[in-house]
Amino acid sequence: MIKKEGSFKYLEIKNISKNFGETFVLKNIHLDVFKGEFLCLLGPSGCGKTTLLRIISGLERQTNGDIVQDGLLISNSPTEKRDFGIVFQSYALFPNLNAKQNIAYGLENKKINKKEIEKRTNNLLRLVGLEKYSDQFPSQLSGGQQQRVALARAMALSPGLLLLDEPLSALDAQVRSKLRNEIKLIQKKLNLTTIMVTHDQTEALSMADRVVVMERGHIAQIGTPFELYENPITPFVADFIGKMNLLKGKYDKKNYVFYYLNNRFLISQNTEYSFLENCLLGIRPEDIEIIKFRKNIEKEENILRVKIKEITYLGTIFRLTVVLESKLEENIFVDVISNQVVSNNLKIGDFIDIKLKKEKIKLFESNL
Amino acid sequence: MYFKKNFNKSFNILLLRILIIFVFILVSFFIIIPLLPLFLKSFSDNKNNFIGLENFINYIQNPSLTQSFINSLKVAITTTFFSVLIGFIYAYALTRTRLPLKKFFNTFSLFSLYIPPLAVAIGLIYIFGKQGLITQGFFGTIPGFDINLYGFNGIIIGEIFYCFPQALIILVSALNLSDQRLYEAAESLKASPLRKFLTITLPNIKYGLMNSFFICFILSFTDFGVPKVVGGNFNVLATDIYKQVVGQQNFAMGATISIYLLVPSILAFLIDKNFRKNEASLISGKSIPFKPRKNLIVDSIMFIFCSLILILVIGVFSSIVLASLIKIWPYDISLSLQNFRFSNVAGNGYEPYFNTVFMSIYTAIFGTIFVFFTAYLVEKFKPLKKIRMLIYFFSTLPIAIPGLVLGLSYILFFNKPSFSVPFLDFQIFNPFSLLYGTMGILVLANIIHFFTVCFISATTTLKQIDKEFEEVSESLKVPFYKTFLRITIPLSLPTILEIGSYYFVNSMITVSAIIFLYPAKIPVSSVSIVNMDDAGDTASAAAMSTLIVLTSLFVRLIYEFTSRNISKKSSVWINPLET
Repeated sequence: MIKKEGSFKYLEIKNISKNFGETFVLKNIHLDVFKGEFLCLLGPSGCGKTTLLRIISGLERQTNGDIVQDGLLISNSPTEKRDFGIVFQSYALFPNLNAKQNIAYGLENKKINKKEIEKRTNNLLRLVGLEKYSDQFPSQLSGGQQQRVALARAMALSPGLLLLDEPLSALDAQVRSKLRNEIKLIQKKLNLTTIMVTHDQTEALSMADRVVVMERGHIAQIGTPFELYENPITPFVADFIGKMNLLKGKYDKKNYVFYYLNNRFLISQNTEYSFLENCLLGIRPEDIEIIKFRKNIEKEENILRVKIKEITYLGTIFRLTVVLESKLEENIFVDVISNQVVSNNLKIGDFIDIKLKKEKIKLFESNL
Repeated sequence: MYFKKNFNKSFNILLLRILIIFVFILVSFFIIIPLLPLFLKSFSDNKNNFIGLENFINYIQNPSLTQSFINSLKVAITTTFFSVLIGFIYAYALTRTRLPLKKFFNTFSLFSLYIPPLAVAIGLIYIFGKQGLITQGFFGTIPGFDINLYGFNGIIIGEIFYCFPQALIILVSALNLSDQRLYEAAESLKASPLRKFLTITLPNIKYGLMNSFFICFILSFTDFGVPKVVGGNFNVLATDIYKQVVGQQNFAMGATISIYLLVPSILAFLIDKNFRKNEASLISGKSIPFKPRKNLIVDSIMFIFCSLILILVIGVFSSIVLASLIKIWPYDISLSLQNFRFSNVAGNGYEPYFNTVFMSIYTAIFGTIFVFFTAYLVEKFKPLKKIRMLIYFFSTLPIAIPGLVLGLSYILFFNKPSFSVPFLDFQIFNPFSLLYGTMGILVLANIIHFFTVCFISATTTLKQIDKEFEEVSESLKVPFYKTFLRITIPLSLPTILEIGSYYFVNSMITVSAIIFLYPAKIPVSSVSIVNMDDAGDTASAAAMSTLIVLTSLFVRLIYEFTSRNISKKSSVWINPLET
């Protein structure tokens, strides 16, 4: 686990498990969240990320394990005694209260005088850029505006911890990317420790300081977005964060050679892989090169002759789906800069040679 | 950031648990526990000696009593068949055709909901009775036609009047949930109209259909008002109980017959509940509502059908009003208000009327509060799951408890000043006995008698309110009762008003639950209709019926007016429950 210099553990999740009878939703989760950090819980649906968030908030109870927040053991504290604000996917704004009343809802319950409430509510409205909309009811606001009201409401009691449960997934693409930046800015400005649940890897990579990738109730990997992309430790993480081709084959440890069908691949000697000979070779689509028009192919290493099965236009790049003649059902994806495809006039059915960059190849333990 | 002490116990959760247990105790004592003395009574003689199954054996061996059981079943099955059939056609016309004057047909179809079954029966007397308009051919102007009202025929017509709108309400809401896209898909696959009906329409409403069978069966199997007035010599279980209890003071036999009345109702209830266990909405929130196309033949047939039904409903109502205004039917047909004096008849002037109005107001107020709060506790919280499930089950039960049975069980339970503990020489004071002989017991009986419908409607509304509101409030450290007052109640206001008006109207027209219970010093109008009719003073009975119907309609109008105002005010934040 990475420890940041000069930060202290604000939230410690110790050995948390949650099960219903025999079915485990969460199994032995250990996680430290540092003060002021933006942490993302990322994973496919059913991986337990939302349950973990709800356990942190006290809305659900863990079967085992402890939670320490700011030095206090809160494992069994009821929700209302915990120090956090939460934004739900549905926003859950009170429809019969306007934006301002929604934000003031928690403040009004405290014994604060009206002027102070007014002042703090206005500050929050300004923070999320909704001064003009304070009298509007949720049904009169756009999705993005509703989301901001929900955010302001969650921050109204100046919580030490902000919990976001898929806060952006109900919005359309443009609003989403705009709000991503705004949330991030507000979070950094207030130095507010934040945990966000999402299934969207782009969202996680662009917002989080650290990402926790979860898979079937356990943590698959924790790291900065860069670390996760560059050094995934399992094929699951590799394919969940970005795209990764996974080829099943045999590894010859002594000679640093990987055998896939009849093909030999040289593996970088910088990393020592200790596992058994049956394993997976991983390579990202952008780390494969087309070498159709080079001479002296024989001298090059890590070459595969493949046939183009599909060409998908993705804007700046084309994604080619290619297959080996001897294994037609196994797709390999190759990302190519658009003008290379156009200028070389690549078509479906063409044969090309591709090169897997040696230093980019990763090996994974095969559990198949 | 601030440091806080860590409290493991939360006052709010404790309060919530106490409230749930409190409501559980109330619901048990008002619904389940009163049935126990009734069961005990059915195994005892009138001196409270335990005699086992003797009452039941006596019952089966008495041919005239067993005949009543068969009669009740006949009535229930016939009524259910016709009510659901008519209700379905009418509902289909309202939802799936281009019926002309749809709004008019929609509003007036529910008109008979405000006419007590007793009054329907009295109206029928004036149309089909010995001196009825049709029997005598409109005072001899045209040839008469006698349908032999008194007996099976009269009961069936009256019960259909009473049950058909209930089936209609259920079926309209079932048919309203439709998805245009399903029909379009079927059409694109060249399905015939019959095939579309059998494969799309029917499966979509099967739960509604089942539920309307169940409701009509129970209502007609257990109704007391119609057979009392037009039953003649055709005895049914409900009139038998009345005769045993009021006529012969034979509580043991009354209790025994009650069991015979209760068991088929509970069976029907369980079948319906079991059938609906798998109920899941086939229509998603994204469906496009069905838009009927013009079809001249279907639309005209439906128009004629609906008109006929409406003419009958309005005819019955008008004949009640007319009967109350005519001096001496059919001999002196000049108009007068003398029937509204209620002075020299079995009635007690206007006292019963005002008692009934106050009883209905109290029922509406306390019933609505109790039912909504119960539904809220059951629906919105997590603690004490098993107890909440029991409260839910108990709350759905009253619909299967016939009014007469409820009334009888309340007498047996609430007039006991104390309970004796079995096998111990020990008595516990029964605090509920304080209600006996007061208006309170009438209000309570009404609240419970109509509890299920109100409870289901409150639960449905609460389900539609985002459960995350409670979670957000918790995270904002706002206690649940503040959210209840500030968010839940305003959002549910339309339903709360609807429940209040339902309670009011039904308390106005009900007779079965309170006929055994009303204290001599608090006469009520529906009972005085029975008594006036018994005394042969049908015109005064019609006058009292008219008052009841007009009052119910008046309250309903106030309700419509208020709820329209509310929805206007709340249209700013668009009531999310209306969609």
